[in-house]
Amino acid sequence: MIGTAAGRARRTRGRVPVAAIVPAIVAVGFFAVPLVGLLQRAAWSHLWDDLSSPAAGDALRLSLECSLWATALSIGFGVPLAWVLARLEFPGRPFVRALTLLPLVLPPVVGGVALLLAFSRDSLIGGWLHDWFGVQLTFSKAGTVLAETFVAMPFFVITVEAALRSTDRRYEEAAATLGANRWTVFRRVTLPMVLPSIAAGAALSWARALGEFGATITFAGNIQGRTQTTPLAVYVLLQSNLDGAIALSLVMLAVSLVVLTLLRDRWLGNV
Amino acid sequence: MRKLLVTPIVVAALAAGSAAAATARVGGAHEAKKPSGAVTVSAAASLTEAFTRIGTDFQRKYPGTTVRLNFGASSALELQIEQGAPADVFASADTATMDKLVNAGKATRPAKAFARNRLVIVTKRRNPEKIRTIRDLARVPTLSLCALTVPCGKYAAQMLQAAGVTIPESKITRGQDVKTTLAAVSPGDASAAVVYVSDAKAAGRSITTVTIPDAQNVIAVYPIATLPSSSNPATAKAFVRYVLSKPGQQVLQRDGFLPPAATQ
Repeated sequence: MIGTAAGRARRTRGRVPVAAIVPAIVAVGFFAVPLVGLLQRAAWSHLWDDLSSPAAGDALRLSLECSLWATALSIGFGVPLAWVLARLEFPGRPFVRALTLLPLVLPPVVGGVALLLAFSRDSLIGGWLHDWFGVQLTFSKAGTVLAETFVAMPFFVITVEAALRSTDRRYEEAAATLGANRWTVFRRVTLPMVLPSIAAGAALSWARALGEFGATITFAGNIQGRTQTTPLAVYVLLQSNLDGAIALSLVMLAVSLVVLTLLRDRWLGNV
Repeated sequence: MRKLLVTPIVVAALAAGSAAAATARVGGAHEAKKPSGAVTVSAAASLTEAFTRIGTDFQRKYPGTTVRLNFGASSALELQIEQGAPADVFASADTATMDKLVNAGKATRPAKAFARNRLVIVTKRRNPEKIRTIRDLARVPTLSLCALTVPCGKYAAQMLQAAGVTIPESKITRGQDVKTTLAAVSPGDASAAVVYVSDAKAAGRSITTVTIPDAQNVIAVYPIATLPSSSNPATAKAFVRYVLSKPGQQVLQRDGFLPPAATQ
């Protein structure tokens, strides 16, 4: 199926009407021009100095660590959730699906406020965690991971669920008739089929977690070395050291661009 | 619209009789023009409540005017104006930020001091960590302070340094303006914050206030100025006059601000 689509695409290449090419170029320019602006304004001569400040180093390290945790959590909880949503018939499923995808449309700051009202020391769950276990999620590294997972996991779930829905269920049925139990079917048949989508979903949610700002600053605060991730550091630097802010932005841009290009094209075969 | 333009002198004369003594005393042809149209006022975040009220009062006093308010960290607003953001009046929470704008030729001198403010410690409601003094701030797990680029952050640093209290940056969450700094304590989860008295007052009972003794406190001086780039200088000047006038001062003082020093 994929083969024929690709073949058709190859045959029609060069026959895209001019009416489509012009707006496409405008759209590319729309994405490219701000990047060029950033590159042009960057202070290349002391870029390295800007990046080796303690605050910048802390922010980059923290961003990497927290976004990877958020991705791991998204995969760990997202695969089962996508599986349930795609395969299990139950009342209220559309509602549950909408609920899972809510953070996609919710302004992140609102998500942060909602998390705060659920997990702060004054709240029911947060108060219980704090009083009984001495655990405080807010204004902590765990809080940063939580906020990032909240906004990133829907990207993973939506990608994997779509893949699960579009797989041919006859393979699973065949495996089941041959005596495989549900777990084996999932592990040996379903999972390998959707593996590319799991990688794509993971890349998307990782990129989203890396760029997370609103929910993090609201729920986890802005503590250097603890919750001040790179986007927060950029925001702070904007008011005092524009060069530093641009330097950090460039690192984020480069990393994201490399990941999106490599992951999608090389590993996923032009998904 | 045209009708408004032909009658300004009569209306100005009538207005002179009302509460604003300042208006009555100013002379000169351009001053006689009745305030009208829109002005954008960029003001320190700590002025949010007071200037919102003053803006409403001003519009009521001068029908036909619109006061657009833009609140944020003084340093952020200064940067916006320096980079050409349209504004008519700038009110800063410290003189250093205002001086920066004046020296850049982007604010009309002299800027006038219109209020002062003091710092205060706010804690979670009922002060569960029993914070009594500045020294106690060193032992809380998370303290909320303004960013060091923002006036309230500078004042707090000054105060902590004078008290000989050092707090590692790893325990400080930095707010981009005083309102965000306060929000980190409520609804946020920081143990305490250092903000202005006026902000603590505006936050009401969602937080508990711990007074800082005058000897250890820092006094913030708030200057206000019109901007030479203003497209509506007459109304901009009228707004500044209103802030300095008795009704304006009453609003500020009710919100916890101190009157500007001596001669005003």
